[in-house]
Amino acid sequence: MSRHCRPTRNRREFLTDAFCGFGSLAFSAMLAEERARAGAADPLAPKPPHHAAKAKAVIFLFMSGGPSHLETFDPKPLLNKLHGQPRPKEFGEVKYQFVTADAKLLGTKRSFRPAGKCGLPVSDLLPHTAECIDDLAVIRSCHGDMVVHSAAQYQLFTGRIIPGFPSVGSWLLYGLGAESRSLPGYVVMPDPHGAQEAGQPMYAQGFLPAVYQPTMFRPSGRPVLNLDLPPGVKLEERKNTLALIRGLNEANMAADDAEFNARLNAYDLAFRMQTEAPEIFNLRNEPAATLEMYGIGKQPTDDFGRRCLLARRLVEKGVRFVCVVSGGGTGDLQWDAHSDIEENHQRMAAQTDQPVAALLKDLKRRGLLDSTLVLWGGEFGRSPESQGAQGRDHHNLGFTMWLAGGGIKGGQAVGATDDIGLRAIEKPYHLRDIHTTILHQLGLEQNALSYMHLGRKERLTEIEGQVIREIV
Amino acid sequence: MSGKPWIGALAAASLLAAAEPVAPLGTYRPAERRHWAFVPRSEIPPPRFTDARDRAWAASPIDAFILHRLQKEGLRPSPPADRATLVRRVYFDLWGLPPTPAEVDAFVRDRAPDAYARLVDRLLASPRYGERWGQHWLDVVRYAETDGFEYDTHRQDAWRYRDYVIRAFNDDKPYDRFIQEQLAGDELSPQDDEALVAAGFNRLGPLRQNAGNQEVASSRNEVLTEMTNAVGAALLGVTLGCARCHDHKFDPIRQSDYYRIQAYFAAVHDRDIDKASPEERKAWQVQAEPVEAEIKRLREAMNKAPREERGQWLMKIEAMQDKMPPPLPAIYTVANDPAKKSAIHLLARGDYQHKGDRVGMRPLGVLLPDGAPELPEDTPAPRLELAKWITHPDHPLTARVMVNRIWHYHFGRGLVSTPNDFGRMGARPTHPELLDYLANEFVRSGFRVKHMHRLILNTRAYRQASSTRDAAAEEKDPENKWLWKFSRRRLEAEEIRDAMLAISGSLNLKAGGPSVMVPIEKELVAALYKPAQWQVHKDPREHDRRSIYLIAKRNLRLPFMEVFDAPDFQVSCPRRESSTHAPQALELLNGALANQQAARLAARLEREAGTRADRQAELAFRLVTGRPPAPRELALARNYLATGSRREFALAMFNLNAFLYVN
Repeated sequence: MSRHCRPTRNRREFLTDAFCGFGSLAFSAMLAEERARAGAADPLAPKPPHHAAKAKAVIFLFMSGGPSHLETFDPKPLLNKLHGQPRPKEFGEVKYQFVTADAKLLGTKRSFRPAGKCGLPVSDLLPHTAECIDDLAVIRSCHGDMVVHSAAQYQLFTGRIIPGFPSVGSWLLYGLGAESRSLPGYVVMPDPHGAQEAGQPMYAQGFLPAVYQPTMFRPSGRPVLNLDLPPGVKLEERKNTLALIRGLNEANMAADDAEFNARLNAYDLAFRMQTEAPEIFNLRNEPAATLEMYGIGKQPTDDFGRRCLLARRLVEKGVRFVCVVSGGGTGDLQWDAHSDIEENHQRMAAQTDQPVAALLKDLKRRGLLDSTLVLWGGEFGRSPESQGAQGRDHHNLGFTMWLAGGGIKGGQAVGATDDIGLRAIEKPYHLRDIHTTILHQLGLEQNALSYMHLGRKERLTEIEGQVIREIV
Repeated sequence: MSGKPWIGALAAASLLAAAEPVAPLGTYRPAERRHWAFVPRSEIPPPRFTDARDRAWAASPIDAFILHRLQKEGLRPSPPADRATLVRRVYFDLWGLPPTPAEVDAFVRDRAPDAYARLVDRLLASPRYGERWGQHWLDVVRYAETDGFEYDTHRQDAWRYRDYVIRAFNDDKPYDRFIQEQLAGDELSPQDDEALVAAGFNRLGPLRQNAGNQEVASSRNEVLTEMTNAVGAALLGVTLGCARCHDHKFDPIRQSDYYRIQAYFAAVHDRDIDKASPEERKAWQVQAEPVEAEIKRLREAMNKAPREERGQWLMKIEAMQDKMPPPLPAIYTVANDPAKKSAIHLLARGDYQHKGDRVGMRPLGVLLPDGAPELPEDTPAPRLELAKWITHPDHPLTARVMVNRIWHYHFGRGLVSTPNDFGRMGARPTHPELLDYLANEFVRSGFRVKHMHRLILNTRAYRQASSTRDAAAEEKDPENKWLWKFSRRRLEAEEIRDAMLAISGSLNLKAGGPSVMVPIEKELVAALYKPAQWQVHKDPREHDRRSIYLIAKRNLRLPFMEVFDAPDFQVSCPRRESSTHAPQALELLNGALANQQAARLAARLEREAGTRADRQAELAFRLVTGRPPAPRELALARNYLATGSRREFALAMFNLNAFLYVN
């Protein structure tokens, strides 16, 4: 393979030249790691994990804008009691994006009922999800570092509060390769209402080679760019063109030229993607009962339901990481309930609750839930104080996410916020702990999964994450 | 190291008020100071050879160093590349564009001994040269024209910096001056627009802005971090950024060194200098006034409204602000504002809320005598001091780092293969004496980049064939770090696009000015948080300009660029990846750009080569690959053209290795 394709070439040199024995053991291990991950002739070939994996794939149900923990999984009776009053001093100080120090606490209008065998309380916003509670590990003590969307979204996806770093999906593709060769290994399905504040860099591969980039399944008649033949070109004609390209390229290469062989393979794969990938969007062969279960064909669940069903079909075919986004465009079209928590969350929950539960049930009955880790949550939660009369501001110091499947022990809540849901006080878990747990379930070690960039061994978690032991 | 002239400026004692704990000046062990990149450059004479053939090959000092090392490794250089290969190589290298068939022929036929040297001179004298080499610098300084983050606000006049860089390369601006203008143009020549534009360098990083309660201290810290990191990565070639949170784990760079460099930027603030004509200003006001009035009304309403409704009002104001006309022409530069000078402290874990000892300005301690004091706090032009330290002829890093970048872009691999990291985690130089020879030459020439191009391009090492098949050499040196042949390389994203435009006959060579937004799939526009930001240029001829003139938008990279490993605009990119994967094939087979250019190329073939398939194939090969087709290629092409469409044939040409790679 020529120098061009091998991002590791400097590491080998740096091992042999720069270290001359000093620390070379650790560095040779690192080198072996990088060569195993990215240095192979086919950078997407499946690679063995560091330890036995529980999960093979991840579906991230991204509730963009920040769903309220107080209206979903974290009931706070005291908050309702203190409704309309200023926050008692003993809860401490916080900085919000909009709400100021003199804001009043806002009780919730939601009612909570124990669900499933475990009896964990789930709000009446999410009746379908409540049916799956015994599979969910509800982390009530999540926290992150940023209270504004863009920076918090970067942290949620890449572990850093600035753009330019690889997202979880890219790290997983780099670490484990792809199982399916006719489908992209990392797929994002954005919400048709629009984009997120953090934009494209949030999903991207950062400094990893472009081969680990996400593929966007865009909300349109042509979901994947460049998958369709150009207008006026027939398949037979294109086959001839591909044969011409291959013939001319082969006429000019040595049989053992690794890079040019990789290019020949890329053309074969591109052709296979072109013919096979569109099949994934064809839901006609799905039984009517399945479509109904996901809420496809009725409002307001049709769109999110379709994308959840697609997510199942993708992991079924070996896709490594699928992100399904709920919410997009201006704040109120996300879970970003600044002005009216009731109206916003009822609307967003109505779009997503049934499809989310259907996805879990569908994965489970097909035996896929064991190997598919499902993560639900947003970049932060919402403030106990009201913004305006009935909105809630962003809030990053204590909020809820849940995980299910992929070896996660469901039917339990982990950690706790204080009595008004302000701050994670019991077993606080940072976003990087969620990342570490995902890596762990997929068989990857947070420190071993590294990539040398600008003189630093970069890692998703900066080696500071901890596995959420309670749930694995 | 005391007594070195380049630290003379530091003789003055620190005047730092001692009210707060001050970080110690620190000491550095001899072993730390002995790292190869921190010691003065050597002047080792080029090796001599006894064998007459060796002497002939190694006539230039560069070739002597290369040949000496090859022999030591038991390797032999390759024969020279044929002239058609060489001319294509040097065109892409210096212009990022292919030679026309006529230009290939002219060089192939020109048998004068100085034909190649004249070709190099001619290419260096063309404006196309700056458009290619300027891009390399833009990669290194993470140039973009938008803020990034959620607003990704467009910096309407950022293109002036891009044009400045292109001009600097074309004019062969001395590199020391180039650095001084970028770091401190406002201090150096406050009346000179050119220098002021250059100082926009300090503002190139991403910028987070958001509505609501501003975290002023946090934002300021992010801005200062961006400025400081750029000095390390782009100018010094050390991973200074690693010392932001703690002492560097591998290099002798203390956390205090990081913040002492940051202290040079303590008073830096953005400054936009209005460059509008009175007419422009008037027209702008006519558009802006009603919007401003509405914003004013909203603000007043917000002030009367209950405080907790502030957020909603702010969002309304923000929506109205989007309706303002584009800003008037301006220069984006910086200025020192002593009244708003930030106190610089060590920050635990880089967190602005965890302040440690206070520090003042001082360059990297490992390059100074122990105990070298900080600069007085009232030093009048602090960044110019820093720039002069960086560009001092004896600075051990600056010249080495820049000549290594130049070498890297010519050969695809630097003598130090980690161009932004000359520290211990970086690679060691493969040819340390050659690196020093080049750096000495660079300084001696007055920091002239074009002088370095001439030296390097006229070597035999550069003119070797890339096609050599030598199993033993391949086994011994698969990465070709000893340069026993020239390394084939894939074209970069911009080169592929620009070459397709040139070959199809549609490249618009208009130079400079505001950046262009080209038509893209509507789904990509919809994926912007503010889709209205994407305003396609109304004149379609503008869509065919060189890639360096297309907008560099942080939150929307063109898929074509992205798929071929163009950098992401967020952090310094010293070396592009060159990956191979299926989406590249899909882009070149089904993408709009490839198909549009294929249609134009097909039309050109019919126009210029007539109706005969042989003639068309011949012209296509000469345009796309720089050579006529071999018999087997001609047979395949003829066979295809007997039934296939010209457009698909032209598309196939853009998918050939012979197009996408330079030999």
